Amino acid sequence: MKRLRENETVRLGVTLMVVGLVAALGLGLTYTVTRKKIAEQDRMAEAEAAADALPGVESPSELKEDKSLTTAARKQSPAVQKVFTNPLGRIYVVRTKGYGGPLTLAVGIGPDGEVKGIAVVESRETVGVGSKALEPGNLEKYEGKKAKDELAIGKDVQAITGATITSKAVAAQVKAALEADRTTR
Amino acid sequence: MDENTSGWHEFSKGFIIENPLMVLMVGLCATLAVSNRMENGIFLGLAATFVLVCSNVIISSIRGFIPDQIRIPIFIVIIASFVTIVDLSMKAYFPAAYATLGVWIPLIVVNCIILARAEGFAYKNTVWHSFLDGLGMGAGYIGVLLIMGFIRELLGTGKIVLFDKTIISLGPFNPPSIFILFPGAFLTFGCLLALLNRYKMRKSNE
Repeated sequence: MKRLRENETVRLGVTLMVVGLVAALGLGLTYTVTRKKIAEQDRMAEAEAAADALPGVESPSELKEDKSLTTAARKQSPAVQKVFTNPLGRIYVVRTKGYGGPLTLAVGIGPDGEVKGIAVVESRETVGVGSKALEPGNLEKYEGKKAKDELAIGKDVQAITGATITSKAVAAQVKAALEADRTTR
Repeated sequence: MDENTSGWHEFSKGFIIENPLMVLMVGLCATLAVSNRMENGIFLGLAATFVLVCSNVIISSIRGFIPDQIRIPIFIVIIASFVTIVDLSMKAYFPAAYATLGVWIPLIVVNCIILARAEGFAYKNTVWHSFLDGLGMGAGYIGVLLIMGFIRELLGTGKIVLFDKTIISLGPFNPPSIFILFPGAFLTFGCLLALLNRYKMRKSNE
């Protein structure tokens, strides 16, 4: 009787394992097929957001990714992921932790070292609460800021009610981009 | 002949008599959330229907091998696998739709319609009937999503936009945006339910 019950448990376990294996195989296949395409879509989304961050840039094709500049910028600000260049200025793709997960912004900085525009690349902030700090109206307030500005919440920039953490993340990211820009000019 | 009629019955019952949303009242959460635009309804509806049909077919075809005690974990593994497949494919080929639907695509896993059909139908019926059941339930689901999306988008934004093309425009009028917000979902759904119940009462009186 005991023997039988043990066999039964093994049978259940094996069945579950077989189902799991088949499912894993199917998922692995799908992942392999879609992986490249997803990476490409992510790159395109990033480039499009980057193009939005610098007024005057019409399409992502006008931007060039600068790898050596990225390396130099990361020495100053490790949050910098990528740097795009264009005659109108540079775009720093910066990623830090927001409230809901990683928050990635593209910060456009002109040759004069001033913030020209900010665009959201990826955000998981709570819609309607944290996301308020990412609305164009709020991001515009950073335009014209320079590396010498402190960008401290409560001093020269204001947090949005309910979105303190997101506001802080935005301020820190813009500051990181400005610092990276200052040291690599 | 008998086989055919019951096949048609399994397919068509999802439209009205056993409509998953309006009669069985399962899977409402995602419906209320994404039905603010017609286009969302199309994508979520198709994604859920794909998962529903595939999981119904697989579950009914292996139902002889599934031990009764662990059927629910097996259903969930199968459903979750199909949802992940949809999730990855949508991310790769329809990034715009994926961006607006966001978390609702992975959440198809916990959409009660799918588990309810697996447990309540596919586990006890043939592959062919389960396929038809999935297709019919999916059609009923898409239908309600489209009707709700149409009403809410038209009243809430004043126009219907499908795939970047304006299909219908109400012209100059200030639309009450409550319809595309959450209260609008409840209002619209309540009105649709009332209409359906009135229709059913009339039918039973006849």
